[in-house]
Amino acid sequence: MKFKVLFILALFICMLFLAGCGGNNAVSTNGEDDISNSDNNAVGNDSEESNNENNNGTTGENMAAEQTLLIAADQDPSGLDPHKVTAHSSIRITGKVYEGLLQFDDDMELAPQLAESWEQVDDTTYIFKLREGVKFHNGREMTAEDVKYSFDRIKDPETASIGASYFTSVEDIEILGDYEIQFHLSDAYAPFLSYIAHSSAAIVPQEVVEEHGDLNQEAVGTGPFVFEEMVPDTHVILSKNEDYYIEGQPKLDGLKYLTMIDESSRIAAVRTGQIHLTTVSPESVSLLEANVELEIINYYTLDYNYLGINTEREPFNDERVRQAISLAVDRNELINTVMGGDAQLTGPVPPSLGNWSIDVSQHEMYEHNIEKAKELLEEAGFGDGFEAEIGVPGTYRDRVADGQMIQQMLAQIGIDVTIVQLEWGDYIDAWNEGRYDMLTGRNGAGTDPDRSLNFFFHTEGSANVWGFSDEEFDELAEKGRFEVDQGTREQTYFDAQDRLLTQAPNLFLYNPQNYIVISKNVSDYMPLPHSSERFHDTYLSE
Amino acid sequence: MYTYILRRLFLFIPVLFGVTVFVFLVMNIIPGDIASIILGTEATPELKEQLRQEFGLNLPLYQQYWNWISGVFVGDFGNSLRTGAPILPEMLNRFSLTFELTIFAAIISWMIAIPMGILAAVKRNTKGDIGIRFVSLLGVSIPNFALATLLILILSLFFNYYPPVGYVGFLEDPRRNLEILLIPAIVLGTSMAGSLMRMTRSSILEILGQDFIRTAQAKGISQKMVLFKHALRNAIIPVLTIIGMQIGYLLGGTIIVEQIFSLPGLGQMVLTGINQRDFPVVQGTILFIATIFVTVNLIVDILYSYLDPRISYD
Repeated sequence: MKFKVLFILALFICMLFLAGCGGNNAVSTNGEDDISNSDNNAVGNDSEESNNENNNGTTGENMAAEQTLLIAADQDPSGLDPHKVTAHSSIRITGKVYEGLLQFDDDMELAPQLAESWEQVDDTTYIFKLREGVKFHNGREMTAEDVKYSFDRIKDPETASIGASYFTSVEDIEILGDYEIQFHLSDAYAPFLSYIAHSSAAIVPQEVVEEHGDLNQEAVGTGPFVFEEMVPDTHVILSKNEDYYIEGQPKLDGLKYLTMIDESSRIAAVRTGQIHLTTVSPESVSLLEANVELEIINYYTLDYNYLGINTEREPFNDERVRQAISLAVDRNELINTVMGGDAQLTGPVPPSLGNWSIDVSQHEMYEHNIEKAKELLEEAGFGDGFEAEIGVPGTYRDRVADGQMIQQMLAQIGIDVTIVQLEWGDYIDAWNEGRYDMLTGRNGAGTDPDRSLNFFFHTEGSANVWGFSDEEFDELAEKGRFEVDQGTREQTYFDAQDRLLTQAPNLFLYNPQNYIVISKNVSDYMPLPHSSERFHDTYLSE
Repeated sequence: MYTYILRRLFLFIPVLFGVTVFVFLVMNIIPGDIASIILGTEATPELKEQLRQEFGLNLPLYQQYWNWISGVFVGDFGNSLRTGAPILPEMLNRFSLTFELTIFAAIISWMIAIPMGILAAVKRNTKGDIGIRFVSLLGVSIPNFALATLLILILSLFFNYYPPVGYVGFLEDPRRNLEILLIPAIVLGTSMAGSLMRMTRSSILEILGQDFIRTAQAKGISQKMVLFKHALRNAIIPVLTIIGMQIGYLLGGTIIVEQIFSLPGLGQMVLTGINQRDFPVVQGTILFIATIFVTVNLIVDILYSYLDPRISYD
């Protein structure tokens, strides 16, 4: 009898060992080859690179021996294919490993990356001159062949790349030489270059795709960091690209992303110095402000919170009803209550996108005028008010709070709102199907107004789930898309934004801030609205 | 005995089959679709269609189920739709953590609950007993997540301590591994201890009131012998039932504690799978957990007959 029990226990223990043997062989990147770039062999002829001036000051004594930046990530990456991923948790990894032809610089202007220079030959033809001697992490040189392959892959429907729709107007890609490539478009598609600078327009090596079938679990690019390993729900390790084409970059020996979903854990870990960098929610900022070891950086994102209105339903198909709702919603109150004052007014193009956005604070639809709202409802024949439902994504505190505040605001003009909290998967369905009268949500406005306007609100726009269709707006948005002159394009988009605010298919509530907590020894790091993790010059000081 | 075990093992088949069918149906009934979730606002009808095609979600239900279950028979649990990573190695990997954490937590809970339970029973209705019962009530009532968050806050604020970040397996670095698991194990262990302590106490009290105990005492056997040899062994069956159930639950993953302490255990895997509608992951993990659960139950049943020879399965 005893023997049998022992036998069973032994079986159980065997199970443990079997399980243990399949174990992850995580070995953290070492900081042994210290301060490798502290030095005299800096040739210094990579002239067009930005930020080189502070290189000299940062070498030598004040660099810590250990140069692996530890980052707590609030979500595990879902796949690593740069052409397919949409989650921030994935893009923050692929964005370090892969590069595109162009990028946005600190001022949101287009800047060279893998392309050394570019030229627009005529309205529909672009020629890119590639940087010579750039190597993929597998050691092979990147050439025009790879650029062509990558764009063919993006455009191939089989790939199901999110970038496919960005490049529908690309008709023909011609290799002019090893380092020269020409894109021919079917029409004068103005946002083309912005999309070339998008993270999904990454240049990938063909042989790696073929070897692995896809790029979900493997990453080989030309970027400053090399993919080492990914252990689900645990970490992603990237190491320094020793052959990076910009001398002296990156300064860090590596990055380690630790998946830590729970915010109180991330806060405790950064507080006790176990990690160097993490994002935190606005509510938690006050917990960390007093800590002298930490620094809190905030910046405006390219996102906005919105109230989406299903414009196909009664009575919301009447623009006066939507205008009444817009007038009844006090956006400043939302900013103060939901965001603790740390957000700014926005239209469909957030102010952080620079010159493209209009000043909404003076717009008539933003004046918060209850009387006028009631009049409009009266005119539309709904003077007695009506009932409506707002769907909110239960996982996001801010969007739930937006819904609750709006419920109270709309009660003032006689609209009786019921809030329905939705689980995320269900919310996405509801969003796609237009299941509720209204939804609260958050959009990424993208780096070009074409996305902010056409993508979300054009009658044919693929993210226009609101059934919104307005001829005048469509015309303006299309005109902007095919307008090559920047000045005229800007004015066209201003008009389009104005039209959109007046038509109010969505209420643009506010442009939120993100908060990043770093320990004091993280130097030369500054998040930008379009790229919150640029670590080329970042290093850890003593 | 062996025939009993064989018979029980045979019964696993309909149970597990039922579980897979049930989970499969539930995953198909609940709203939400992985292609839409992955694509978010980037979803165009063509992209969604392409993804659904790629994931095999356009096939008839019975065929989807068959494709999955026929793979399971040959040990292929498929790949995660979200990340493309194979599921089985991932599951085994995570099970090693969950298993270790469970054992760790169980030991902590036994060390607290059994002595305290015995003490409370022996010192029945004294201040000590009331104190112990109060503490055990707290243990039962405080939810894991509250205790975990409080511990994290207190340790980091007042002691500047947080368990090392980045999980490593026991075989890789035992010290670091144990340090990572210590706080989570304490959280789980103390909450398990509450109900276990109450069960130990009441079960011992019941035994202590029985005739054979009085006989033993009358014979002049020392109180210690009476308690540990006669009373405890007889009182252990209901306690074992509770232990078995607790371990069964814990082995299925401790979602909240894993999430709070960033431990890559089974619970996290199930949760992400459900949130993302990643159905091969959900099906695989639930099947795995169900298997563990029924196995633990079987082991507990076998242990009964070992501890109490009157229970026989032959």
